[in-house]
Amino acid sequence: MSDATAPSASTHTGFVHDLGGAAIDLFLGGRELYSVFVRTLYYVFRGKREKGAVVAQMYSIGNRSLFFVSITMGFIGMILCYQAGLQSKRVVPDFTMLGPTYLELLVRDLAASLAALMLATRVGAGIAAEIGSMVVTEQVDALRMCAADPIDFLLVPRFLASMVMTTALIVWAATVAFFAGAATAYVAFDVPLRTFCNMQLIDAGDLTIGLSKCVAYGAAIPIVSGYCGLSTFGGSEGVGWATTRAVVNSSLAIIMLNAFISTAGLLIFGTK
Amino acid sequence: MALEPTADSPVGRLASLAGSAGAALIGIAQTVGGMGVLFGRIVTRIFAFPPQVDWPELKRNLHKMAVKSLPIVVVTALFTGAIMVIQAAPLVKRYGAEGLLGWGAGFGTLREVAPLLTALMISGRVGANNTAELGTMVVTEQIDALRTLAIDPIAFLIAPRFIGIVVTLFVMTLYADALALFGAAYSGYGLIQVEPQSFYNGLTGGLLHFSDVANGLVKSVVFGLVIALASCHFGLSTTGGAPGVGRSVNATVVASAAGIFVLDYVLSFMLG
Repeated sequence: MSDATAPSASTHTGFVHDLGGAAIDLFLGGRELYSVFVRTLYYVFRGKREKGAVVAQMYSIGNRSLFFVSITMGFIGMILCYQAGLQSKRVVPDFTMLGPTYLELLVRDLAASLAALMLATRVGAGIAAEIGSMVVTEQVDALRMCAADPIDFLLVPRFLASMVMTTALIVWAATVAFFAGAATAYVAFDVPLRTFCNMQLIDAGDLTIGLSKCVAYGAAIPIVSGYCGLSTFGGSEGVGWATTRAVVNSSLAIIMLNAFISTAGLLIFGTK
Repeated sequence: MALEPTADSPVGRLASLAGSAGAALIGIAQTVGGMGVLFGRIVTRIFAFPPQVDWPELKRNLHKMAVKSLPIVVVTALFTGAIMVIQAAPLVKRYGAEGLLGWGAGFGTLREVAPLLTALMISGRVGANNTAELGTMVVTEQIDALRTLAIDPIAFLIAPRFIGIVVTLFVMTLYADALALFGAAYSGYGLIQVEPQSFYNGLTGGLLHFSDVANGLVKSVVFGLVIALASCHFGLSTTGGAPGVGRSVNATVVASAAGIFVLDYVLSFMLG
C-alpha cells in the first residue's frame, strides 16, 4: 500500500481484496452447506436405509453424551439460580418469583441453547473428526466408488439420530438444571421447594419456542459438522482443522438460530 | 479394563459396571494429573530468569489466536446481547421496569454470559486448533525432532501457546463485554422500544459496580488457564495418526467445556 501509483506491482493486496475474498468464501461455503442440507433432506425421504445405523448413531450421540450434559447443565443450573438470587436481592428481597421466572427462561431459551452448545462441542466435534478421518483415509472415496452417496450413508443416520436425541437430551437437561437450581435456591436463599416449583408462567408460547429450538439445533449440529467433516483435506492437520471448524461453526449456528427464533417468538407471541 | 462381563449373571454385570466406573475415574485422575504436571513445567519456564519463552513464537501465536478470532467474538457478543434483551423483555414489560433493563442485561452479561460464551467460542476456535496443531506435530514426530536438536519443546512451543491463550481470552472477554452491551442497547431499542439512553443509565446508575466487571474478568483468566492446559495436554498426548488427532481435539473441547462449567460454579460462589 506504500506505493499508490503502482498498485498492480505491489504484492500486498489490501483491505478490499481481503474483504472480497472473505465474502466470496462465505458465499461459497454457504452454498455448499445449503446443498448438503438439501441433499440430506432428499435422502431422508428417498434414500436406502442401512439397518441399525440410526440406532447406533442414537446411542453414540445420545447415551454417550448423557453424563457430560448432566454434569454441565447441573452446574449451570446452580450458577444461574445463585446469580439470579444475588441480582434480585439487590432490588427486591423477594424470592417467590425466582422459581417461576427461572423455569420460564429455562423452557424458553436457556435449557435448549446451553445444552445445544454443549452438544455442539461434544457431538459436532465427534462427527467432524469421524467423517474427516474417513475423508483423509479415502474411505469416503471408496464409498463413492461403491455408488453409495456419503451423505446418504454417513450423514442421514446422524441427522435423524441427532434430531431425536437432541430433543430428548434437552428435555433431560432442563430437568437437571431445574432441580439443581431448586437445590441451590433452597440452600443459599432458603426458598422452599414448593414455592420454587411453580409453573404458572409457562404457556404454550414458551413451549413452542423451546421445542422449535430443540428441533432446529438438532438439525443444525449434524449438518454443519458433517459439512465441515466432508470438506476435510490434507492429512491429520486437516482433521484437526475440520474439527475446529465444526465446533466453531455449529456454535455460531446455534447462537444465530437462537437470536432468530427468539425474535420470531417475541414477535409472534408478544411479551404478554 | 481387565474385567469382562462373564455372563448375564448380576454379579458379572455389577463387576463390569464397577470396572468401567473405576476406569473412568482413573482416566479423569490421569488427565488432571497430567495437566498439573504440564502446568508445573510451564510455570518453571515462565518464571525462570531470564524467562525461557520463545518471544517470536509468542507474538505469532497471539496474532493467530487473538486477531484471527475477532470476527467470531464480535458476532457472538452482538447476538448474545440481543438474546439477553429478548429474554429480559417479558420481565421488563411485566413489571414496567424499562429503566432496569440496562442493569438486568448488564449484570447477567458482565458476570456470567460474556465470559462464559467467549470462553466456549475461544475453546472451540483456539483451543481445538491448538490441539490439532500440537497433535499433528506429535504424530509427525516434529516434537521428537525438536528434542534431538536440544530445543526444549515446553519453552519453544507450549509456554508461548499457554500465555497466548490466557491473554487472548482475557482481552476477548473485554471486547465481548463492551460489544454485548452495545448489541443489547440497540436491540432493546429495536424490539421493545427502550431508548439506548435509558439503557446506559441503567448500566451506570449505581446498581452495577466495578466488582461485577472484575468478577467476569477473573473468571475469564481461570477459563483461559483451563483451555490452555487442556488443549496443550491433549495435543501432546496424541497417539495414532489422523484419527488420533480428531480424538484429541474432541477430548479437548469436551474437557474444556466441562472444566469451564465446574470452575464457573466454584468461582461464582467464591467471588460472591
